Amino acid sequence: MLVSMVRHEWRSLVGEAALWIVVALFTIALGYGALTGVRWVQFQRNAIADTQQEEAERFRRHEGEIARINRENATVSAFSDPRNPDAVSRSLGTRYAVLPPTPLAPVAVGQSDLLRSYFRVTTDASEIVLAATELENPHRLLAGRFDLAFVLVYLYPLLIIGMTYNVLSAEKEQGTLVLALSQPVSLRTFVLAKILTRVIIFLALVILLTLVALAMGGVDLGAPDVLSHLILWADAVALYGLFWFGMAALVATLGKSSASNAMMLVGVWIACVVLIPSLLSMAATSLYPMPSRVEMIQAMRVASDEANEEGSRLLARYYEDHPELASDDTQQAMNNFNMVRVAVTTEVDRRVQPVLRRYTEQLEAQQQIVAYARFLSPAILMQDILNDVAGTGTWRHREFLRQVEAYHQRWRNYFVPLISQKRLLVDYSGLPQFAFEEEDLGIVGRRVTISLAGLAIPTTVIAAMAFLSLRRFPVTQ
Amino acid sequence: MVRTIARKELLEMLRDGRFRGLAILVVALSAASFAAGWKHYTDVQRQHVEAQRATRAQWLNQPAKNPHSAAHYGMYAFKPKSRLSMVDTGIDPYVGVAAWLEAHKQNEFRYRPAQDRTAIQRFGELTAAEGFIVILPLFIVLVSFATFAGEREQGTLRQLLSLGVTRRDLFAGKALGVGIALALVVVPATLLGVVALAFTSDFAGLRDDLPRAAWLTAVYLLYFIAFAAISIGVSARARSSRTALVILLGFWFVNSLIVTRAAADIAAWLHPTPSAVEFQKAMDEDLTDTEEMQVRLDRRRQQLMQKYNVQSIDAVPINFSGISLQEGEEHGNEVFDQHYGRIFDTYERQNHTFQLAGIVAPMLPVRSLSMALAGTDLVHHRDFVRGAELYRRDIQRMMNADIAQNAKPGTAYVAGPELWAKVPEFDYELPGAAWALERNHISLLLLVAWCAVAVWFAFHATRQLTVD
Repeated sequence: MLVSMVRHEWRSLVGEAALWIVVALFTIALGYGALTGVRWVQFQRNAIADTQQEEAERFRRHEGEIARINRENATVSAFSDPRNPDAVSRSLGTRYAVLPPTPLAPVAVGQSDLLRSYFRVTTDASEIVLAATELENPHRLLAGRFDLAFVLVYLYPLLIIGMTYNVLSAEKEQGTLVLALSQPVSLRTFVLAKILTRVIIFLALVILLTLVALAMGGVDLGAPDVLSHLILWADAVALYGLFWFGMAALVATLGKSSASNAMMLVGVWIACVVLIPSLLSMAATSLYPMPSRVEMIQAMRVASDEANEEGSRLLARYYEDHPELASDDTQQAMNNFNMVRVAVTTEVDRRVQPVLRRYTEQLEAQQQIVAYARFLSPAILMQDILNDVAGTGTWRHREFLRQVEAYHQRWRNYFVPLISQKRLLVDYSGLPQFAFEEEDLGIVGRRVTISLAGLAIPTTVIAAMAFLSLRRFPVTQ
Repeated sequence: MVRTIARKELLEMLRDGRFRGLAILVVALSAASFAAGWKHYTDVQRQHVEAQRATRAQWLNQPAKNPHSAAHYGMYAFKPKSRLSMVDTGIDPYVGVAAWLEAHKQNEFRYRPAQDRTAIQRFGELTAAEGFIVILPLFIVLVSFATFAGEREQGTLRQLLSLGVTRRDLFAGKALGVGIALALVVVPATLLGVVALAFTSDFAGLRDDLPRAAWLTAVYLLYFIAFAAISIGVSARARSSRTALVILLGFWFVNSLIVTRAAADIAAWLHPTPSAVEFQKAMDEDLTDTEEMQVRLDRRRQQLMQKYNVQSIDAVPINFSGISLQEGEEHGNEVFDQHYGRIFDTYERQNHTFQLAGIVAPMLPVRSLSMALAGTDLVHHRDFVRGAELYRRDIQRMMNADIAQNAKPGTAYVAGPELWAKVPEFDYELPGAAWALERNHISLLLLVAWCAVAVWFAFHATRQLTVD
């Protein structure tokens, strides 16, 4: 029965202009969104290639210079001596730590236009290394991108609402509902068939169109881990769609006019997509206001002034903590200007830790609020999932920052003994290198699954409510 | 007659629970956004004033040292917040708050507040401007989509017109009704804004902000009028209230959510932004152009020897290292002007395209004007960056001139706190409202055009109002 009703509904939908308008809008929007994502990833790849090229050229130049110095026994100033570990660690031989875009990055631009994906790591304080920003017109950052995530989070529910807001009310207003129900079919089956037909059309449309668009954009859908991420993505698309279908069904069962239904659904949409997220953002930043970074800058400056004043005393203490670095010749060890800098930087780092912790703690607190409150709006959950699947969200970037900080430490540890022993570098082949280690698939999967559950539970509740509410549906008035 | 129609219209709305609920929601939202904006403004402004004072104190408290060391120590410039940023934060979250003013280098403004927030802010911030530009038009649509279409469906339109009411009176009355309903929401919201503004400033500050605030109010009003006129016009034209609602909601969606993104995309596509690494590499190459520096130094040497009519540079009565440092600065300044100028020009060309796209949707000109008047758009940011950079260059010039004047060759020269104190305090004034409007005349023109066309459309649509 259901199957034949779905088939009938399908035939009548195909005859409607509305369906074709929706299909056309969707095709254009998804195509454009995919194009935005693909182009952005291409831009990032080019930038990363530029970093690699810059680094390689620099290394070639300095290694050539080392060869020349050795050949000609030339003298060069310590600042520009490519063998001097201090100069190499601070500028000449610095390397980039890069966060490569994932294969599915075109799915959502996410935070990747705001948070930089490559850093040139030096022995400076890590706050200075990580303060580098990508160039972007701030107006564009404010506007956001027209990417696939935007189409799915904002437009997709609206199109669902457009196709579903009058499933029952139109039949009732035209007087066909009574006729249809005079056949041996229950109201529930009738509604289910109507909704199910639309669900099938929408899901097939969204998933197929997106896959085609991504494949045309050069995304390798067969790359490792892509399939698992795509399955999570498709789950999210399906559940988010079902939430809105369920909402439309629930509203339909209230028996109001088509115009009332439309207004109610648009109201829910605005609450979920516009109001709740911005109120939540406001609540998070008002409850845990982030002090301006100027306070951190001042703290760092005060710390570095004080540390610089203490200078050699800090170095003496540094050698006490690192006896392995102290050479037998105390006089010479204490006169090592570059080691004073190492000791001073270490001390500055130590002193600003409490200030930095305030920023991290405050951000953690904000994140915590959002983590709980995101369940209030399916749109937030959806955006979260899409960012996570694309690897353009907060989590992967945080992991990246963690790894960069570890690498930064590795970089320092590599150079400090060289600086303290005033050893000269022969070539750059041994310099520590950064390679981003992807988060474990299980961790991503767990995070996404929680959000998916956050979509599934209200969807189920809404569907059940619609189902129950149908009992009281006034067919004849 | 007009008054009767307006009163009936208003009464109907006031009796409608939906209207009351919406009105309360809108006023409550704007109260919340003003409160949050006020809190944020006072916090950040206090922190920045405090930091600016501290950086000045650090500069003054430097021990005796070579002026060039002092120049290297430098100072920080912290971006002050404009008072009206509590209405529209604009791009403030997406530009850095601090730049180090040091020797040899124009540093970027770093630490964008947006990076210290959760991803959820990308859904949009609930500022008062957001409320006026996005939420309030929705309110307008919802209260006015049925003005004519609803009457037609109920059959009351036929009755009305048969009474001999002219279509012009009908239009005026309906528009007045919608206008008063709108005023019931807008006036309290505006008053809240004025109160918030008054709380943050003394009388003089308020007087300075007044022209900007007045223009801001005018801009929003024009926008509301345009939106209300479009709604009434569509309601008169549409066959049913359902159609009117769908058309207006579609327009609202495209206007408030699609066009900003699409226009920004197209603008960036027409005028691509280079990546940071590309930018840095090109600038470094120019900065380290040693040949160019050699040429410049030789020229300066020649000039000085000619001026003092001596044969060797050592015979010149001033210290050449000060001259050479300054020459390095001058060279750097040219490079910085060229490269940073190119980036800012690219952004401004993008924003120009963005403004032109205002032909498609009234939201774009309003958004641009709102940010401009609040002092939170790119033009204002660039002006501040320019101010900070000029100040940096002044410091360099003073330090290097002192070296050239007082340093004796062969001795280690140190200067004392008198020299540090000679550097004036960094003081940046927000330009006036006229300056901001001048840079947004396209937007202003487009907004007025939108308003005029919308009113004409509404008027025209009611003149041709059909009964069935």
